Amino acid sequence: MVPVEHYFVLALILFTIGVVGLVVRRHLIFVLMSIELMLNAVNLVFIAASRALGTLDGQIMVFFVITVAACEAAVGLAMVISLYRRYGTIATDFLRTLRG
Amino acid sequence: METLAIFYTLAALVILCSLMVITLRNAVTSAVFLIADLFLLAALYAQMGADFIAGIQVLVYAGAIVVLFLFVIMLLNYTPGHREEQGEGGHLERAFGAGLLALVAGLSVVLACSSKFSLVLPHAFPFADSGDNTYQLGVALFEKYLWPFELSSLLILLAIVASIFIAKKKPPYEGKRQ
Repeated sequence: MVPVEHYFVLALILFTIGVVGLVVRRHLIFVLMSIELMLNAVNLVFIAASRALGTLDGQIMVFFVITVAACEAAVGLAMVISLYRRYGTIATDFLRTLRG
Repeated sequence: METLAIFYTLAALVILCSLMVITLRNAVTSAVFLIADLFLLAALYAQMGADFIAGIQVLVYAGAIVVLFLFVIMLLNYTPGHREEQGEGGHLERAFGAGLLALVAGLSVVLACSSKFSLVLPHAFPFADSGDNTYQLGVALFEKYLWPFELSSLLILLAIVASIFIAKKKPPYEGKRQ
């Protein structure tokens, strides 16, 4: 049986890759995909902890996280389409209306 | 030892695919690597005895969410080398990203090598691998977590309405701005 710490370290690396993608990429689609990567890292932690503790609560949490991720992707991609229609670009550098 | 070898193989592939997702320039290729990533994570979940979550991961994540991503990418007709990708990743962001990745890689190597690294979790606890994971999950979902479950259905309904409203052909705020 694989020790639970291995899964935590893997989730740490995966989450960091997601953060780096979020910061480095300028394209909104890539930003959303990085968020999905980070959510998956959290799911991995939940399932590993659920196995280690011998309870099912972590798996239930993953179920809800997947639900929220689906909603987030749907609304986020709708916003991407709307922004592209309105401004003709979805690069985060060009979308600075809220920057003040 | 065999499960450990499988875990290391899957973990290496997961990290490789994730790096591909954030580094490739073509969005379609990136999304395909995201699908591969999600399948590998589903394999990891199945290895941990979470059969139902592994199935849901493949069905909902790889089957619905990433397909939605691909749909939007192709709808926008995104081509690499477009003008918005000109300023991709300034020096500051790249340095930050490389530094953070190096930091975490070093930290994980240190953690993996040190024998003292052990969390408070009692990881020797035997998990109920009786093969009725889905049944137990269903009972927990409809008894202990009934309210969150019903609220999540409301959340999905809200997301449907919000997506349709946001992605409508004519944005409602257009008249005021111009």
